[in-house]
Amino acid sequence: MLDLYPETLINVEWHSSGFTPGGSDFDIPAYSTRAAMYNVGGIPHTQWNGVESTVGGFPNGNWQAYIGDFTNIYNGMVGDDTPYEIEINGYAGNTVNYDVTVSMDSDMSNSNQKVDIFLVEDNIWSYWSGASSYHNARNVGREWLSSADMTINTAGQNETFSGSFNYNDNWNSDSLQIIAIVQNYSTKQIYQASIVNINDMDPDIDDDGILNNLDNCLEAWNPSQEDEDGDLIGDACDPCNNLVFSLGNSNGDTDINGSPLIDIMDVLTLADYLAFDAQDNICQEPTLNINQDNHINIVDVINLVQQILNGG
Amino acid sequence: MKLLLIIILFSFSYGQVLDQIDLNIQKLNSVLETASRSSQKVFVEDFTGLL
Repeated sequence: MLDLYPETLINVEWHSSGFTPGGSDFDIPAYSTRAAMYNVGGIPHTQWNGVESTVGGFPNGNWQAYIGDFTNIYNGMVGDDTPYEIEINGYAGNTVNYDVTVSMDSDMSNSNQKVDIFLVEDNIWSYWSGASSYHNARNVGREWLSSADMTINTAGQNETFSGSFNYNDNWNSDSLQIIAIVQNYSTKQIYQASIVNINDMDPDIDDDGILNNLDNCLEAWNPSQEDEDGDLIGDACDPCNNLVFSLGNSNGDTDINGSPLIDIMDVLTLADYLAFDAQDNICQEPTLNINQDNHINIVDVINLVQQILNGG
Repeated sequence: MKLLLIIILFSFSYGQVLDQIDLNIQKLNSVLETASRSSQKVFVEDFTGLL
């Protein structure tokens, strides 16, 4: 079935210690965590996009009897609208560096939304004594690389999750694949998945000569890596010049020398923000918390007025 | 009075034209959004099986 839908069906095999090919190292701790998440009891158990499941099949029965069920579940899910796209890039050298970028094309709450990243090994030909047969195991779970909270929730936003791992001598590096999913840990619903062989990852997405993991603008061509305000976001992709949008200068205006101009207009901007939650641009909010207590309120207005009266 | 009537008539006519344009733009937006919307892949976790 995996061969029938190579572009839209992604699998991972999680193996318990008591149920692996003889002498294999298929079982990893992730099995217990993922199995507990879905209350897996009887095995073999399949879990589809986190929310539909089947129990039974080979070797207690036969997978062929389940192909109809599997196909129905698959058809009921594939192609549904989702806010998320996932792109996996990176560089497979002595260690493997990866960047998983999740982008959104419509709004969705990020409450309980996580991005999980798994390392799997495909096409492991091994003898299964329980079934008395050889079998080509597909995408056997090798390592649960990371699990991170998602912070984005609005169309047009994207977020990158970076990491690295080292090879294990028992793995065939040509068959290693990275899988990334977006999953809601409350409902268990998986909203998107993506897979890539580590040798097919793009090490330099924007072709600017700077490898992804070192690039301060992953998707903007900026070979010089200029970063005027030193916030580790390159000028080519930095929406906020923090030298201009400095603390207090919430309207981002400057004097003739280009220095931030903090005056009564900034007090009005701050008052507008408090009264109407009015933000003129995304650079504004960090400039409003004058006393740096992580709460923007009337105390910040007072502090800003004092600052201006005292000469800035 | 005639002038006022003409102005009102023109206002209504152009108002209708603009409404139609607005509707068409909304339809176009809807088509574009639908066409560019991400589509779900299917992820199956196979617990100790041979799928």
